[in-house]
Amino acid sequence: MTESSNPFSLQGKHILITGASSGIGRQCAVSCDRMGARLLLVGRNQSRLVETLRMLSGSDHDYKTTDLDKIPSTYIEDLATLHGAFDGFVHSAGIEKTLPVKFLKKTDYEEVFNTNAFSAFEIIRQLCSRRTFKDGGSIVLISSITSLIARGGVCAYAASKGAINSAVRVMALELSKRRIRVNSVSPGTILTPMMKDYLASLTDDERKKRVDGFPLGIGTSEDVANGVIYLLSDASRWVTGSNLIIDGGYTAR
Amino acid sequence: METTKFIESFAEALEIEDASKISVETEFRKLDEWDSLGYLNIIAMLDEKYGIQIENVQFKQLITIEDLIRYIDDATK
Repeated sequence: MTESSNPFSLQGKHILITGASSGIGRQCAVSCDRMGARLLLVGRNQSRLVETLRMLSGSDHDYKTTDLDKIPSTYIEDLATLHGAFDGFVHSAGIEKTLPVKFLKKTDYEEVFNTNAFSAFEIIRQLCSRRTFKDGGSIVLISSITSLIARGGVCAYAASKGAINSAVRVMALELSKRRIRVNSVSPGTILTPMMKDYLASLTDDERKKRVDGFPLGIGTSEDVANGVIYLLSDASRWVTGSNLIIDGGYTAR
Repeated sequence: METTKFIESFAEALEIEDASKISVETEFRKLDEWDSLGYLNIIAMLDEKYGIQIENVQFKQLITIEDLIRYIDDATK
């Protein structure tokens, strides 16, 4: 199939990816690169960002080390001036704080919301200009199935992902005039390093129970990245304000 | 560390109404109230009350309430 006839191609698209130094974000970078996109990778850790960059075959990608909790108000504008306006934005930066509700303090919620939701909302605000984001662009925020179903100990995380799902609908409506699409992706359990740590904290029985909930087994970050490619590409040009669940059937039960 | 005080904190974290059913010999994983959320509650309680962050590998080696108390004593020496 030639690039022009492939609706999933990202050829010529300039895409910003947060959380690109690990897990799903890193896989999104690798997969988008394969589909022909030009990438700007954002993450906290420079050496791990460079590691991601080395995994890519394209040579015109770049990276920017950033503490997402402290984004300057001209952050995106400065990036766009230097690298050109964007066609896509993937927010994959995320942290998790496993604490039962009765131990979760306001500062814990703030910390989780800052990285998982507020930093994305601020970047999107800064993308609301033709100088920084092209008409017809696509925004994909990584949510989680914990935004839809309960699981003990993940209240702050789940709430921050729920905030994403709700915001996406309003953003989709408001940005539709410029044909900018805004969607979220809700993965189930993926074997990221973050998830490996979590699974290691469970007993053998709990781990088995956790994995058994997935009719198609536990997923890979590639399974999620493929959904992200779809939402970034012109194949999904009529899809906005939606939440794509990629969970091996977990929530179907 | 005072044993009764720890048992009270332990019972509270696991939502056990009657703390008197717990003694130093209790194998806490065998309690009816013990489950994955209970585990998280104990981990969070150890952190909040005693400033102890315990790895799962180490926690797995602790079987009785007495083991927990000894661990806390060693960690807070």
